[in-house]
Amino acid sequence: MSIRHGLLALLSRGPRHGYQLRVEFEASTGATWPLNIGQVYTTLSRLERDCLVEPSESDEQGRVVYTITAAGREEMARWFSTPVVHSDRPRDELVIKLAMAVAAKEVDVAEVIRKQRTATMRALQELTRAKRAVAEGAAQRLVLDSMIFHAEAEQRWLDHCEAVLEEKR
Amino acid sequence: MTFVRLAEVARVHGEGATAVPALKGVSLEVDAGELVAVMGPSGSGKSTLLNLAGGLDRPTSGTVHIGEQDLATVRDLAALRRRSVGYVFQDLNLIPSLTAAENVMLPRELDGVRSRQAREEAMAVLAEIDMEHLADRFPEELSGGQRQRVAIARALIGERRLLLADEPTGALDTRTGDEILQILRTRCDAGVAALLVTHEPRYAAWADRVVFLRDGMITDSTNGSLVSAR
Repeated sequence: MSIRHGLLALLSRGPRHGYQLRVEFEASTGATWPLNIGQVYTTLSRLERDCLVEPSESDEQGRVVYTITAAGREEMARWFSTPVVHSDRPRDELVIKLAMAVAAKEVDVAEVIRKQRTATMRALQELTRAKRAVAEGAAQRLVLDSMIFHAEAEQRWLDHCEAVLEEKR
Repeated sequence: MTFVRLAEVARVHGEGATAVPALKGVSLEVDAGELVAVMGPSGSGKSTLLNLAGGLDRPTSGTVHIGEQDLATVRDLAALRRRSVGYVFQDLNLIPSLTAAENVMLPRELDGVRSRQAREEAMAVLAEIDMEHLADRFPEELSGGQRQRVAIARALIGERRLLLADEPTGALDTRTGDEILQILRTRCDAGVAALLVTHEPRYAAWADRVVFLRDGMITDSTNGSLVSAR
C-alpha cells in the first residue's frame, strides 16, 4: 500500500487540500499510520504526474485543492477490487527469532515464549483500552480490531509453539 | 482495597497414589474494582482457582479470604456465596421454565427477599444491561448472547461484590463476546471485583491484569501497574 490509493479514496468524496487529506487519513486509520505533510504532498505530485488527480487554483490561504480524475477513480476501483497478496507483507521478526532460538539449542525457548506472551498480552490490553475509547468512527474501530486480531493470533501461535516444544522434550 | 485474597493455596484432588495436585501454592489478590483474567491451557488449574476463590471448594492448604472473612472459619458457605458472590459459567444454567426476569430474581428469593422486591431488583439489573424489554421471555426465546446477559444479570443482582466468570463468552461470536466483556468491565469500574477465566486472549485483554497459569502455578502476570493508569 499505498498512501496513494488511500488519498485517492479520500478524494473520491470530493476535492480536498493536502492538510485536510492528512487529517482525514489519520482519523480513518486511528493514528496507527501517521503521515507527515511532506509525504502527502510528494504523493499528490506523483498522482498529478500520473494524471490521477488535478490541482485547481489555490484557495484564499494559498492551499492547492486537488480533485480526483476519471483515471483516478478507475485506479481506485482497481485497487479495491484486487485482493492483497499475503507474501507482499514483510517478514515477522518474532517468527525468525523463535525459529533461531530453537535452532541455537542453548537458548531457553520456553522463556523466550513466556516473555513474549506477557508482552503481547500487554499490547493487547493497550489496544483494547484504545478501542473502548473510540466513541464513534467505524473505520478507526475496525483498524484497532484488525490489530487486536493480529495480536490474538500471535498469542495463540505462542501457545501452540509451547505445546509443540513440550511434546518434543 | 483487596477484596479476595488467596494465600499459598494448594488443592489436591484424590488421595495417596492417585492424588492429583490441581493447584500448587497460588497467591493472588483481587482488588475491589479490579478485573483479573486467568489464562492457561486445560488442566492448568483455572477452574479450580475460580471455585476456591468463590467458596465453591475448600483448599487442601493455604487460605482464602473474601472481604474480611477467612473462608475456613465460615460455617455457612452457601449463605456467604449467595450474598457476596456472583457466578457466570459457560453452560449458563438458566432454568428453562422460568422467564429471564424470574431467573434473575431467583438468588434473591433464595435469600428470603419478597417476590415484588426481587422482581424490582431484577428489572433494575436487566435495564442496566439493556435487556429490560426481554424480561418476560423464556431462555429458549433468546439468542445465545441474550441468554448470557441474563446469566450475568443473575450474577449481579443484590449486593454482590465479587463476580466469577468461567469462559462467559463460550461459543459467542466476537462482537457479542465483546459486549459481554463490556458489561463485566462496567461492573468492575463501578467497584465490583471480578475473576475471569478465559482461553481467548482478546477477552483476557479487557482485564486490568492477566495472570498465566501453568501446571497449577502462576508463571507470569502482566503487572498491575496499569491499573493506576486507567
